[in-house]
Amino acid sequence: MESRKLNSVDEFNEYRAKILNSHKGDYPVIYVCGGTPCLAKGSRAVAEAFRKEIEAQGLECRVELSLKITGCQGFCSKGPVVSFGDDIVYMEVKPKHVPEIIEKTVKRGEIIEALGYKDPATGKKAATFDGIPFYSHQKQLILGDLRKLDPFEIDDYIARGGYASLDRAFSMDPDAIIDTIEASGLRGRGGGGFPAGRKWRSCRNIETETRYVLCNGDEGDPGAFMDRSIMEGNPHAVIEGMIIGARAVGAHKGYAYIRDEYPLAVEAMKKAVVDATALGILGKNILGSGFDFEVKITRGGGAFVCGESSALMRSVEGKVGEPRAKYIRSVEKGLYEQPTVLNNVETWANVPLIINNGVQWYRQTGTDGSPGTKVFSLAGKVENTGLVEVPMGITIRELVEDIGGGVLGGKRFKAVQTGGPSGGCIPQSKMDLPIDFDSLTDAGSMMGSGGIIVMDEETCMVDVAKYFISFLVEESCGKCAPCRDGLPRMLRILTDITEGKGKEGDIEVLEELCDVLSYGALCGLGTSAPNPVLSTIRYFRDEYEAHIRDKRCPGHVCKSFITYRIDADACTGCTLCAKQCPQKCISGEKKQTHVIDQDKCIKCNVCREVCKFDAVRVE
Amino acid sequence: MENIKIVIDGKEVEAIRDQSVLDVARENGIYIPALCYHPEVEASGGSCRVCLVEAHQNGRMRLVTSCNYPAREGLEIKTDTDLVRRIRKGVVELLLSRVPDSDVIRELATRDGIEDTRFFKDEGDNYRYKCIACSLCTLVCEEVVGVSAISMLNRGYEKEPGTPYHKASQACIGCGACAYACPTQAIAMTDEGALRKIWGREFSMVSCSVCGKPYIPEAQVDWIVKTTGKERSFFDKCPDHR
Ligand SMILES: Cc1cc2nc3c(=O)[nH]c(=O)nc-3n(C[C@H](O)[C@H](O)[C@H](O)COP(=O)(O)O)c2cc1C
Ligand code: SF4
Ligand code: FES
Repeated sequence: MESRKLNSVDEFNEYRAKILNSHKGDYPVIYVCGGTPCLAKGSRAVAEAFRKEIEAQGLECRVELSLKITGCQGFCSKGPVVSFGDDIVYMEVKPKHVPEIIEKTVKRGEIIEALGYKDPATGKKAATFDGIPFYSHQKQLILGDLRKLDPFEIDDYIARGGYASLDRAFSMDPDAIIDTIEASGLRGRGGGGFPAGRKWRSCRNIETETRYVLCNGDEGDPGAFMDRSIMEGNPHAVIEGMIIGARAVGAHKGYAYIRDEYPLAVEAMKKAVVDATALGILGKNILGSGFDFEVKITRGGGAFVCGESSALMRSVEGKVGEPRAKYIRSVEKGLYEQPTVLNNVETWANVPLIINNGVQWYRQTGTDGSPGTKVFSLAGKVENTGLVEVPMGITIRELVEDIGGGVLGGKRFKAVQTGGPSGGCIPQSKMDLPIDFDSLTDAGSMMGSGGIIVMDEETCMVDVAKYFISFLVEESCGKCAPCRDGLPRMLRILTDITEGKGKEGDIEVLEELCDVLSYGALCGLGTSAPNPVLSTIRYFRDEYEAHIRDKRCPGHVCKSFITYRIDADACTGCTLCAKQCPQKCISGEKKQTHVIDQDKCIKCNVCREVCKFDAVRVE
Repeated sequence: MENIKIVIDGKEVEAIRDQSVLDVARENGIYIPALCYHPEVEASGGSCRVCLVEAHQNGRMRLVTSCNYPAREGLEIKTDTDLVRRIRKGVVELLLSRVPDSDVIRELATRDGIEDTRFFKDEGDNYRYKCIACSLCTLVCEEVVGVSAISMLNRGYEKEPGTPYHKASQACIGCGACAYACPTQAIAMTDEGALRKIWGREFSMVSCSVCGKPYIPEAQVDWIVKTTGKERSFFDKCPDHR
């Protein structure tokens, strides 16, 4: 990157032309995934091996070869992922594969099928994006660039057309920008699905000198990493969106609030701000347009509730991140009591796409009510986990079966949990439900920020509700009575049910408490906290009843209701379980059937995990 | 200030735009239970949730806390519907589980037809005396008194007011405003002779030169003299004999 301020759109275009020129057309680029899961699986060593090999072979002199560490490439369960353009993609790459990849793929353009994805059903391998269902069923408007960008190089972003939307945005009337966003139907990706255009307009319509735009990068849902991946992999897209939003509503200062546990995202966003400022894309008189806008990076307060809009704003102000008991909307009085637009990371990243490509193009994807795509983190009992981006309106079945490759280990599907800790569970009978804001809400769950957890037949739905409520008990800020005092009581009832102490009427009392929270709590944490309980009662009432009436856990999960037994036919007497049992309560001679002493067994599941012959049964 | 009209329980009443609905109701003799709100404390309200009412506006109905809901033209409030009673009853039952010994909460419970809570009570190690953790005391100390000697400690279920680390606070002036404001009388303050005890600290009191009654902590006099520049001699006599 050159360090000079670009004073006009023309200078910006010249700058971009220069970058493209220096690239001198097509040359092979190796994209090694630098997302956090892949880094954990050793992608840095893979990248290093490529670097060494390229140097050792002196490849620069013949082919112009460049190597980039990119943002998340999505297929986290099969990392480290290495890809070549939009074409070839390899999984679980180790440094030892590097020489072969250089020899065949880089030099001769050959595909090494063996390094591709193995279809669990057919055993067939595929090493192209088109040939792998995990990728071919996705529509990557946001994530597509993550594979190919070096997030720490602004030139890379500009070369791919980044910041080009500013030219159009600055030549448009602010109201016209808002009209465009409104017509696009863009809805907030951080939870509620509120129409972004409408929010912006309300903010613009307030007469004042000072307005703010904020980016919500708090992402508190356990297991979710959509926003982290976008900030880490394509920070400039978020900033470009914020510049357009600021220009539309008339804000000159913005804050990106980033979860404290995301150091890499903080680093990437900070670098992006510094580089954009140096080029005059942020700061005073952006690209000679006369418009000023600066962005500050703020680190999160560490609590789940800090992602809630009023708590986030207080946290940015340096106060305790607690929701505010006010009914005045933040578009009227938000940060420092000034009109404020808060949008989620992914929402902002959608904005440049809309300005660049137009409303009609944007609306080609997704549904009428929920246009565009949504990024999900797919997790749980599914073959392929990772970051996926799909058109809104895709069915749960397509997501789980086609992209996810079906339930792990061929087990039966039971439910998907969507929407984070205060989301809900959707059962098998609703597999063909389209995934969009309204369908999920109607089904008793919500989009949330995009966590999807697949659950198989060995899941207890009462236990699931208990798990999420106990998370929320810990995260309740304690400011209002229904949430602070109601959630622990709800948890106690759920715990009693899973421990065989449930009684008739418990379900109804739970429903009553849920009502008190959804109508009576102060902030969204409390009002949406009933979802895990209500949705599991709605679709799995029989499981609650089995626990309460028959003292039985249909999923064989709740310890009070299960026993571990060793199947005499399957047991080979290998003694492994007896050695591993922490209670030392498994006995038996070598090569003879082993037996568990039920009085001492604590149902820790160790025997079942270590048994190589699948001889331990749970009943 | 813009004068407007709103409707409460079918009655049209005068209000100032953005005035709290609870204040409007009180001015018109309409009872809504309320604990954590004080009209003089800007940041108060919204915590106890017993002041819930139905707000009908722009064709939508929402359950809102009347203490901090702004009066706007066209607003219609219903304070005594099935929904309001049902949800408030739930909130009060939860408060009763938290502070079963509070007479104020027990009275609210009786009004709503609750004999006892069905949920576990905060007893033993979790005993909270009468405190419903509504924060009003800390807000009074910060906003009205201006010394911020107490604040809300801990988060979530364990949230409670207190001095930093529960140590005797040097900032405290012993004025007792927090104790007077507490809706459930949960703050222990005792005056014995010329000695006041509050928040684990003792304060010696200045006595009135006329009637001899100890009436204000010395530390409070120091504070007022320091912050307002008032003459110290002003405090020789109690308000009744000035
Ligand atoms: C308890 C709670 C936690 C939240 N956490 C987040 C979060 O981590 N990220 C986020 O974008 N929105 C979060 N939200 C939603 C925000 O309050 C807000 O609606 C959103 O950031 C608005 O942006 P959007 O319209 O672009 O989605 C949370 C809401 C609640 C009630
Ligand atoms: S609903 Fe829960 S998190 Fe929200 S203000 Fe009330 S106690 Fe705090
Ligand atoms: S008085 Fe309104 S919430 Fe407490």
